Amino acid sequence: MPKVTIDGVEIEVQPGTTVLQAALSRGREVPHYCYHPGLSIAGNCRMCLVEVEKAPKLMIACQTQVADGMVVNTRNERVEQAQSSVMEFLLINHPLDCPICDQAGECRLQEYAVEHGTGVSRHDVGKVAQSKAVDIGPHITLDQERCIQCSRCVRFCNEVTGTGELDFFQRGDRTKIGLYPGKSLDNLYSGNVADICPVGALTVKEFRFATRVWYLKNTPSVCAGCSKGCNVMVAVGRKQELMTSPGQMDDGIKRIVPRVNEDVNGHWICDEGRLSYLKLESAERLPYAQDGDGVELDWEVATLLAVQSMQTAAATGRLGIIASPRATNETLYALKKLVDGIGGARIGTHRNHRGEDDNLLIRADKGANAAGAATILGTEDAVAVTLAARNGELDTLVVMGDSLDPADTIDLHGAAEDVGQLIFVGPFVDVASKAAHLRLPASAWAEEDGTMVNCDGRIQLVRRCHRPRGEGRPGWLVFQDLMRAAGVESSAWSEWGEVYDAMRDDLDAFGGTSSAAIGLLGLSTGTPAAAGA
Amino acid sequence: MERVLTRNIHKENSQSIGVYLAGGGYEGLRKAVTSMTPAEVVDAVKKSGLRGRGGAGFPTGLKWSFMPQEKTKKHYLLCNADESEPGTFKDRLLMEQDPHMTLEGCMIGAYAMQADACYIYIRGEFVFGARMLDEAVAEAYAKGYAGKNVCGTGWNCDLVVHRGAGAYICGEETALMTSLEGERGNPRVKPPFPAQFGVWGMPTTINNVETLACVPDIIVRGPEWFAGIGTDERNTGSKLYCLSGHIQRPGVYEAPMGLPLKELINDLGGGMLHPDRPLKACIPGGSSVPVLRAEECDCNLDFDSLAALKTGLGSAGIMVMDTSTCMVKALQRISHFYAHESCGQCTPCREGCGWMERILLRIEEGRGLQQDIDLLKNIADNIEGRTICALGDAAAWPVQSFVTKFRDEFQAHIDEKRCTVQGATYA
Repeated sequence: MPKVTIDGVEIEVQPGTTVLQAALSRGREVPHYCYHPGLSIAGNCRMCLVEVEKAPKLMIACQTQVADGMVVNTRNERVEQAQSSVMEFLLINHPLDCPICDQAGECRLQEYAVEHGTGVSRHDVGKVAQSKAVDIGPHITLDQERCIQCSRCVRFCNEVTGTGELDFFQRGDRTKIGLYPGKSLDNLYSGNVADICPVGALTVKEFRFATRVWYLKNTPSVCAGCSKGCNVMVAVGRKQELMTSPGQMDDGIKRIVPRVNEDVNGHWICDEGRLSYLKLESAERLPYAQDGDGVELDWEVATLLAVQSMQTAAATGRLGIIASPRATNETLYALKKLVDGIGGARIGTHRNHRGEDDNLLIRADKGANAAGAATILGTEDAVAVTLAARNGELDTLVVMGDSLDPADTIDLHGAAEDVGQLIFVGPFVDVASKAAHLRLPASAWAEEDGTMVNCDGRIQLVRRCHRPRGEGRPGWLVFQDLMRAAGVESSAWSEWGEVYDAMRDDLDAFGGTSSAAIGLLGLSTGTPAAAGA
Repeated sequence: MERVLTRNIHKENSQSIGVYLAGGGYEGLRKAVTSMTPAEVVDAVKKSGLRGRGGAGFPTGLKWSFMPQEKTKKHYLLCNADESEPGTFKDRLLMEQDPHMTLEGCMIGAYAMQADACYIYIRGEFVFGARMLDEAVAEAYAKGYAGKNVCGTGWNCDLVVHRGAGAYICGEETALMTSLEGERGNPRVKPPFPAQFGVWGMPTTINNVETLACVPDIIVRGPEWFAGIGTDERNTGSKLYCLSGHIQRPGVYEAPMGLPLKELINDLGGGMLHPDRPLKACIPGGSSVPVLRAEECDCNLDFDSLAALKTGLGSAGIMVMDTSTCMVKALQRISHFYAHESCGQCTPCREGCGWMERILLRIEEGRGLQQDIDLLKNIADNIEGRTICALGDAAAWPVQSFVTKFRDEFQAHIDEKRCTVQGATYA
């Protein structure tokens, strides 16, 4: 393997590694704009110029492959002068409107200007004017003046989605990004262009002027939009002025961006997943436990009522359960323990399919944990349980609401009329909770920790990003409370990991894993779960 | 001296294949494909000392030898007919007046590199030249000098004329390839070099029109004959010089490589335009190369002589300026060209060219600041050598040389807030 000396330190790298990758691999930051690990190499920003000994000119680190014995300087005087001059060029026609730019605070232009710029401008002959706030797609706004022509967005649309909406128009310093005539940046992954834009030229409309990024608290989690389970970073707003109700700890999820996981989603997420928090945030929430008329019930009373109804039905084999494919493994396992403890029930999982798989990330199966549900509860379809209810075979039916989007909760098509009691467990006021005789609030996605199994059999961590609304509590806690009310033997689980490890000891499918071993990038079980198909 | 490249241009119907054949045309191609191996053709061109006439002066035979010896993919030869360097108009003459000479060179080059096709990428504005080439290609096909079974040897090679759409940058070889592929004509980062990964990802060689037009005679008369013309073994052959500016008889002149600049100006060009306005400066190789002061003009026009003066023969566009020339205005016009033609892809060139132009315009209009001269030089230094293609250098060199060699004039412009050149006239 070739050995390369970078800033005096010799390292060994794989053949074909570029100087930039080699430097980054040993924590040496070489400033760059156009290079992106998920895209082809363009070499146009010229920010990563480094000195390669014996080469007469400075070389771009992003494209220069290491050769054995190569000696590279990434920060001597000559290199720093070049980086400083490129920084100056990038800024001369930039509007410097950071105070009103959404990118401020996470802008490469700001970061490198501080690190490599001179701090003063020698440019005083008028900037090139370009268009502001150009509407280029349903979710994306373009500011042509802020653009530094790194071409990441163009390459994304050409190489990742293959839709090719964007390109450069005009020449020289009039060059601008734009849409081809008659096109709109409306592919299903368009939001990624804003993520990879190193400056504030491309912004997601839904996040525009929503908050400043330094008010955000980021939590690594997993998208629950479909069974792919793309790794994401969930940002919750913490700006005091936006917290309107007393005791409020945050002002809700402000955005979701992809988190790199080469084994799942690479660098990208789809727009539906990116914007899934909008439905969550705007949905009407079930504030507290209530009866069918909406009268608030004390939690103890509510759990007791629920358990009595379930036990009575179970005793005669007339209990039905409809599980949510977006519930965590922990919730589903607690449900299973409850059902086993009170004498069994017909359990079906809602099969939530929409559209088709695409060749990138979107999966038709919207049940983010459909695979986990199949492993824990079996593969019966909720339709069978609903039919049983309609046929008068059930006295009590427990329905879990969807934890991401109220519209995704199963529609029972009037089955509530055919059972004695419909018990709802979930976060939203939706079609099932409205029909229910007893409603138990649970937390929504991003309000509880837990695990899910994606379509490739990968166990991944879903994280609590902020406090649940109202009395909503994690589903496994709801079911643990029901177990206690029913007098069923149960462990005193106090956090998700205990539930997971109990499940691991109980179910072979999770054997050999542990809650501590899952980590931020998940754990592959090696076998894609056939379930949920 | 004997005219080689221009021997046919004054004949009646010089563009027709009949006239070309009567003057011994296509004998080089016939000789190459019937009696020489491709390697022997490459060898002959190497021995001739032919260097690229497009601007960089890279040895042609060496360039040809970079093509893979083992053919595993299609090979392409591209003829760069996108002649756009200000002050350069020699390829245009060849294509308009004697297109078959270029076509024959193309076919010999294609044979030497075992190309499957040769594309002639012609500047979009050359409407007449494109028509002449189109007609000549049709004639060459009809006579069996292109297409299937060339000269009855069973070797096939297509010859295609492709018109550009009017961008200077498309004359840069990698931008030319991108443009030919139907994309926006942006230059590509090298490596990979065209001989490995060229147009459509296939091994490709790009040669200038005049370079290829030199090849038939090298094959017919032998490399030694060609190498015998010129200054020395590194600067050989017959050369077209484009003479323009304040000169009695501007035009294209054919003379041996290494012609003394003064001889071109005073003898061939008939001397300065006005007897009372002596030579002030001369750009020897198209607008991108550094300018020469009058006292530096006692030099020979070849690659190495001009390199010794830290300028270049470039595309041999010799622009003569007399004492009525305002160097600020001249440089401002040159910088405007490069700012306009920069593809905008990479940062230093995209931003720097426009910045330099705006500063020059300010000086020219009498609003220049004291620090502007140093600033200009510094911006040019920050562009040079740091861009994807040579356009950045082409924009930087004139600025560096003008403000260094004629600094007083720029200073006077700033101090006096006006042009101080006696008799300066603006076109």
